[in-house]
Parts: sequence; structure tokens; C-alpha cells
Amino acid sequence: MSFLLTCPNCGKRPVQEFTFKGEYKKRPAPDAPFEAWTSYVFMAANRAGRQTEWWFHRNGCQRWFLTERDTTNNTDHRSVWFEKRTD
Amino acid sequence: MKSARIESHPDFPVPTGQKEIRFRFQGREITALEGDTVAAALIAAGVETFSRSFKYHRRRGLYDNAGYGTDTLLDVDASPNVIADRTLAREGMEIRTQNAWPSVGFDVMAVNDTVVPLLPNGFYYKMFHKPKALWPLAEKAIRKAAGIGRIDTSGRGTDLRYEKRYRFPDVCVVGGGPAGLSAAKAAAEEGKQVLLIEQLPTLGGHSAHTIPEHQRVSELQAGLEADDRVEILTNTSAFGVYEENLVAAVQGRDQFKIRAEAVVLAPGALERHLVFENNDLPGIMTGRASERLVLLHGVRPGSRAVVVTNHDGGEHTARVLKGAGVEVAAVVDARQGRTIQRAKGRTRVTAAVVGARDGSGQTETIPCDLIVIAVGYTPNLALLAMGRKRPIWDPEQQVFRSETLPDRMYACGEVQGPATFVRLLKEGEAAGIAAARLEPAPPIERSAEDRIDALPPTVGRCKGKAFVCRCMDVTTDEIARSQAEGFDQLEKLKRYTGLGMGICQGKVCYEAAARIVDPEIGPTTFRPPAVPVSFGVLAGRAPHLVPIRRTPTHDVHVRAGAKFLDVGQWKRPESYIAPALESKKVREGLGMIDVSTLGKIEVSGPDVQAFLHFMLPGKFKKLAVGRVRYGVMINEDGILFEDGTIAHIDEGRYVISTTTGNQDAILESFYWWQTTEGFDVRIRNLSQALAAMNLSGDTSRRFLSKLVEIDMSNEAFPYMGCRKATIEGVNVTLFRIGFTGDLSYEVHFPAEYGESMWELLMEKGKPYGLFPFGVETQRILRLEKGHLLPGVDTDALSTPYEAGVGFAVKDDKPDFIGRAFLKQFKERGVRDRLVLYKLKPGDPIPGDGVTIRENGKAIGRVTSSRRSPTLGAGIGLCWVPKDLAEPGSRITIRLADGRDVDGEVLEHAAYDPEGVKLKQ
Repeated sequence: MSFLLTCPNCGKRPVQEFTFKGEYKKRPAPDAPFEAWTSYVFMAANRAGRQTEWWFHRNGCQRWFLTERDTTNNTDHRSVWFEKRTD
Repeated sequence: MKSARIESHPDFPVPTGQKEIRFRFQGREITALEGDTVAAALIAAGVETFSRSFKYHRRRGLYDNAGYGTDTLLDVDASPNVIADRTLAREGMEIRTQNAWPSVGFDVMAVNDTVVPLLPNGFYYKMFHKPKALWPLAEKAIRKAAGIGRIDTSGRGTDLRYEKRYRFPDVCVVGGGPAGLSAAKAAAEEGKQVLLIEQLPTLGGHSAHTIPEHQRVSELQAGLEADDRVEILTNTSAFGVYEENLVAAVQGRDQFKIRAEAVVLAPGALERHLVFENNDLPGIMTGRASERLVLLHGVRPGSRAVVVTNHDGGEHTARVLKGAGVEVAAVVDARQGRTIQRAKGRTRVTAAVVGARDGSGQTETIPCDLIVIAVGYTPNLALLAMGRKRPIWDPEQQVFRSETLPDRMYACGEVQGPATFVRLLKEGEAAGIAAARLEPAPPIERSAEDRIDALPPTVGRCKGKAFVCRCMDVTTDEIARSQAEGFDQLEKLKRYTGLGMGICQGKVCYEAAARIVDPEIGPTTFRPPAVPVSFGVLAGRAPHLVPIRRTPTHDVHVRAGAKFLDVGQWKRPESYIAPALESKKVREGLGMIDVSTLGKIEVSGPDVQAFLHFMLPGKFKKLAVGRVRYGVMINEDGILFEDGTIAHIDEGRYVISTTTGNQDAILESFYWWQTTEGFDVRIRNLSQALAAMNLSGDTSRRFLSKLVEIDMSNEAFPYMGCRKATIEGVNVTLFRIGFTGDLSYEVHFPAEYGESMWELLMEKGKPYGLFPFGVETQRILRLEKGHLLPGVDTDALSTPYEAGVGFAVKDDKPDFIGRAFLKQFKERGVRDRLVLYKLKPGDPIPGDGVTIRENGKAIGRVTSSRRSPTLGAGIGLCWVPKDLAEPGSRITIRLADGRDVDGEVLEHAAYDPEGVKLKQ
């Protein structure tokens, strides 16, 4: 991985400056069935294509944001603040 | 072979008057001239055999003189696999050959070539598989016989430095031939910063030894060298081109990471590889290899030559050779219907057998000591094709071409197919301008005069040893046999025979191999690294990327003679004298440890209580100002990963202390939950803003009372309390907590007072016998008190209930991290438990991580084991099944040396089991 990731705050930076936290998933309700929780914690869709992910600009502004990225080429992506998400 | 230095050449200014250099080759002294590559110097000294081949141990000499294959790998000054044709000779080099025993002149393994002529295809898979019992032995022998190079394990070379270096040019041009030079010039003239990298020690590519183009090329080169906007790195090979134009390159022991706005790839072409019988004999080399020897080094590669060609370049090579006094016995030009059929010779080439292109009719044997192969060029596609579409055969230009490149990447020059010099210059210029302006790539044009017809991939009868892949010793016979066995596609064939898996990664043979097997499907996939890269270069040494972190009091520890321990990036004092002595001083009096590396995260704001209740499994509603509580942290999967304290400093302002190693991850997770759940809190990382010391021992209260103005009595400042105070006018926060098991106070204060505060405390503490102690001492003390260390005593399966900290989980809250899984774990019940044990005095101390056994089976493990100076016996923490976790249970610990010791499970801490000391 060598691509440049866009931080909504700092712009395009080398991806090594960021922490990756995996796919964006909705946290189940507290009383959701245990299966929903195991699936939330352990399962990933691992899409080949566009997916929305959590990134943290560790060596920069120290902010979390969401990035929609094509996992097959890493280059074509779009970053937004969590509050501005459209899902 | 008669080879010698030439003083002059009628058509070219060969170098003269260079200084002499001496180095040793196999113990023999070689005289070289400054500017010689090792290969040129060896050829000038009459050395013909550079190495033995991978499998058949055949003699190999200089072939492409550009350093693509394995044939010229030598051991230089105990560094294996140094490329002789890319390395300049230096005074005093100590050079040895590789892959031959006892020497390349007489190599025992050469029996593989003659006595064992049927070394089978896919030999790694087949040979010695039966009888099976012999396989381990056979494998060992094969590996040794087949390896190239030997790593020097004597310790020489351990001080070698590998560095990572960075460049951020506007335009990076890969390749310093005519197209690359021209592209660099054009981009610089557009006002861009240009980085030009070239794998050979000299610029110019093939034009540097082409008459008369060399003049134009040296003018270009001189112009670039004088241009401030252009940086030139020679001896530098790009081994990968990655996303967003990251070019990775290697120069000696340095790795360059080049991030460019635009990349121009002009890696040129290799001489086309022609497959015929005995095509690997020393004395057979490519046209450009021979030209480079003659014109750039003034070395005559032979005395009587046969030039095999099918284009005008062959005539040029013949002219270069003749000018150097080589007798050109024949120029065998396929355009006139004749070409080489096979080479003759045992230790080197002695004759060329030539005949009709289609193999019909009579052959003619021409005695010679040099066969020059100049039959066209194969684009060096490795960097272009990497991770992209398979190159396709262009019947017009008779080469494989890689068509699609990403935006901001351009390719020009011979890598797009051979072309006239003028076209190469123009194409480079157009690519350089487009790269500078980030415009679409200009079209690539070729005409009939650029085209060089490809001969069939194999010529002649190709019986016996006709090598397709020189690096891995794959012959036409082996390919035919493997195809007959069903390995009929090139990718399968590659995996079965090793074809194209050698040092050149198929750059030399990909075209021949693909055309033999199936030109429609094309060559196998190119992948990085495109050139050999040592592990040292990849691993590098990048101290500027991984900081060494020192506490604010680091220098006083150095002066006190501390032995340091690496804890993550931190340097922490492990001990000052000896851990056992230090722990005695703490237990009997007063000790101080630097705990500045602990994480200190301040949380405040309207939602602070809700935030803490969500983040942590504990409850903090009743935690009054001035109070501290032990807490654990649980991940969403219910697993314990951290413990620490939560202190209520001011109304609504809390400080959470974390372990040294987890602080960054915890801070990240705090920010994440703040973002996702929308808590209105303010999170401040005070970890480095504050220094912290822990004063521990019975006299700690008496000592601190002298320094602070607040009431330190047990009633006014009880155990698990925190107070603000000042010491000599400096604001401090005191936390009365007890990791060591003794009465102790953690003192937090601004980091800038680090050293002076430490020295003040040490000075004032003299009457109390205050003594510093280190991390190892603290680990002993905490183990005596039975405190676990998350990540040391727990792992990714440890629930808080099993780790014995279930008391810190209050699960009657509506929602908090890990709730669902904790509920599940609670219902499942406890299976294993983390418990304390002690050994009998005099028993040996087990190592951390040894097993606990019952009836010959491992049923548990020791996570921390130390000798307790207080008890005078071994103590530790271990995981055991719950039925063995009851106090008084006997456990059997298997030592690393195989002996067993018996331990007793304890109910309470080994030190101060009632907790009297902490609360006194």
C-alpha cells in the first residue's frame, strides 16, 4: 500500500500516517440478539470494490473520518466527516 | 581467449590515462583501470568463467554486460550477489566466485551437466522423493547445491548501515538512455524539478557506445549535469512502481522512496535472447555487451568473432569490434537467409556452426573465440506491466508491448519497441513535456525503418543444452518434457520448472518463453521487485521514522547509572543496582520510580459521566472529587485489554491513567467513540505534558509531608485518594495508590520540571534513605502484591472474570462497550483462572511462559515468574483450570530443562495479604 489518503482536514497524505479501523458498520442496539453482536464484532464484508471505512489521521490532526474507497485499486476514494455521512 | 586493452579506436574516443586500481579475485591480483566495472576488469585480465550455473553447474561468463542475470554475481568483501557488470572496481576489493566448489574452474557439481545428464525437469519435486526417508538428506544437499551466494555469518558486515531516503520530484524519469535523458531535459525546461535514475554507473544507455550518436548523448548528459533542476542518481535501480507514483529504487545499501507528480518510464530494452544449442558458453555475448566493453572500457573481448544479426545494428557491432583489432570472421545476417545453428566448445566457445535460417542444407563451422548475438531488442517491460494487463504481441513491431498505463505515468523509448535514435529523442521530449504539464500521454509511433524482425525463438536443432532461462537453467528439452507432462501453459510451466524465476525475473527470457509456449497468451505476470533487492535494503534503518522516546528525567537516570529497558518506543530504567536489592530498599524504607511514560488522559465536559460509563465497565457516579478508583478496559469483544485508575480531580474533570504501551490505542478509541456516539466531552492527552514519579515505602508519607502544605494524614488523605498540592511552588497532583503493595504516592507535575523535581526529591529524601528503583524492580513488587499486567498476564482470550478482575465490571448499566459479550461470558462461567502461586524456598525459578502439567498434559501456563526477595522463594501468576484455582491447590510446573517443580496456589498476595500497608 503506497497510496495517498485524503484527510478532510489535512488533504492528501501518505497512507502510513493513518490508522485503519476497518469497514464502517452500524453498532447493534444494546438488546440486539447475540448473533447480531458476534456478526458486528467478528464479521467483515471484505468487498472487492467500493466500501466505506474508518480512518484516523494518527500523525496529523488526530481526527476520525470515513473514506469510501475502491479496494481493488486504492486510488479512487472520497473522505467525509462522520457527521456528514449520507447513508 | 585473447583479450587485451586497446589504446585507441578509429571511430571513438576510448578512455585513456586512467589510474590503476588493484583488487583480488579468487586470491589472484587483478589490475584494473579507474572507471572499469568489475566485469570489464576481469575480462581484460583474461577471466572467462565468472560463475557456475544454478542447476547444471555449467561455466558462465559475461553475457549482457548490463547486470541482468545470475551469471555475473560475485561475492565482494563478504557481501554475496554483487553484480559484476554494474559495480565499479575499487582498490582492495576482495572478490570470490559463488555457487561452485572448490572453484569455478573445477566444480564438483558439474557432474550434473555430464554424468547426470538427465537431471529431470521439475527436479525439486521429483528427485529423491523415493525412498521417502532419504528426502531430508537429499533436500539439504539440493538446497546447498542449488543456492547462489553465501551469507557471511562470521559477524563481518554486521555494522553495515541500510538507509531509507526520500525524494519528492515533480517528474521522476526512470532510465538514463536517449529517451530518458531527453525526457528529463524537456521536463526541466518546463520548469519542473526532475529526478533521473539510471541503473548503470554511466548515463547514455546504448547510445553512449553508438557511433556517432554518443556525441549528441554526451552533450545532453552535460546539459543535465549542469542543470540545478535535475538530480541524477546513477547505480540506482527502480524495483517497483506503486500507487500514486511511488517509485521504489535501490542504490547500494540505500532504498529510495520517490513520490513524483509524474513518472516517465524509459527503461529501454534488453538484447533479444536467442535460443540455440550451447548458447550459454563463455565467449558468447550480446552486441551491446561487446560494444560497451570495447568503447567504454577499452577492452577487447576476443580475437576472432562471429557476429550473429538480423538488423543494421550488427554491422555497427562488427565495426566497433574491427576498430578494436578483433578479426570478424563472419557477420551472419538472417536477412540474407543464414543464422547460427549451434555453438561449439567445452569450457568456452571455440566455433560457431552456421547454416540456413530454416535449418535446411549444409552447415558451416567457423572457428572463433567470440560469438556476438545482435538479433534485436526485447522491451524491458517489468515496470510497465507490473500489476497491470498482460503485455501483448505487436506483430507490426515484433515485440511484446504493454499498452495501458495509469494517469500521470508515461513510457517512452525502446521499451515501446526499438526505434531510430532521432525517434527516441523526440519521443522522450514529448513524454517529458506531457509529464511536466500532466497532459495525456502522446501517441507512440513506429515506422518500417524502426522494425526489427524477430527470428524464431529457437534456431538450429536445439538438442542438449539450449537455454531459454539462463538464471534457472531451463532448456528447450526441459520445456518440451514438462509440456508433455501437462504443464502446457506458461504460468504452470514457470512454477514447475522455475523458468523466469531467477535474478532477472524473466526480463531476459520472457519473450522467448512466451513465443515458444503461446505468443497469444503472452509472458507471465511481472511483479515487484523488478531487480534483486537485499533484505537489508527492504528492512532499512529508519530511526527518524520510529522515534526513541525518553522521559523528562532521562538524563538523571543515565547519570545514576541506570540500565535501560525498551518499552515500546520508550527508554525506561530497568534497574539501577540490582532489582532484588532495590525491592528490599522499597520494602524497608523509601524508593522512587519514574512513571512518566504512563498514559494520562483527561476527560471533562457535560457528558463526562455518561462517557465514562459507556467507555468503561465500571460505575463512577459515586466517585467523589478527590477519589481514585481501579478500573479495567474491555473491548467490544468482551476481552480485557487494559487496566488503570480513574481519578476525579475536580468537579467533572477526570484523569484516566493507562499503561505505557496502550496509551495511543486508548486515546484513538476515546476519540472514535466520541465521534460515533456524539458525547459532548473534551479529551486531552496529558501523557507527555506531565511527568510522574511514584514514591513507595513506609516512610513515603512522612517524607512528602515535609514538602507539601496539605494535610497528609490517613484520615484527610486516605488510600485511593487524590489531592492537589504544590512542591516548591510547582503545582503537583498526588495520587495515593498502591501498585507496589506499599504505602505509595504518585506525584504528577509539569514535564518541564522533570529533572529538577527528581533531583530535589532525591536531595530532600536523603535522610529517609530514598533510593531510585527501576521497572524490573516494580515488576517484582507488583507480583508480590499479585497485580496483573494486561498483555503480559492476559491475552486475547482473557475475560475479566477469569482474570480475577470481575469486581470492576458493573453490568447493570444499559449500554457500554463489551456488554453483550460480557453477559455471554458470565453465563458461560469461568473455565480457567489467573491465580497467584508460590514455590518452596530453594526451588528453581521457572521462566515466563512455561507450562503447568497434569497427567502428562499441559493444562495451564505461567505468565509471570520471579523470585520474591520478601518471601525468599519463587512466586508468579499462572492460568489454570478453575478446579485447580482454589487456594492451597498444588500445581506442577514444567521447567524449560524438563524438570518439574511444585507450587501452591495462594488466596491472597504474597506480600501484605491483608492490605494493611496500603491503608495505614
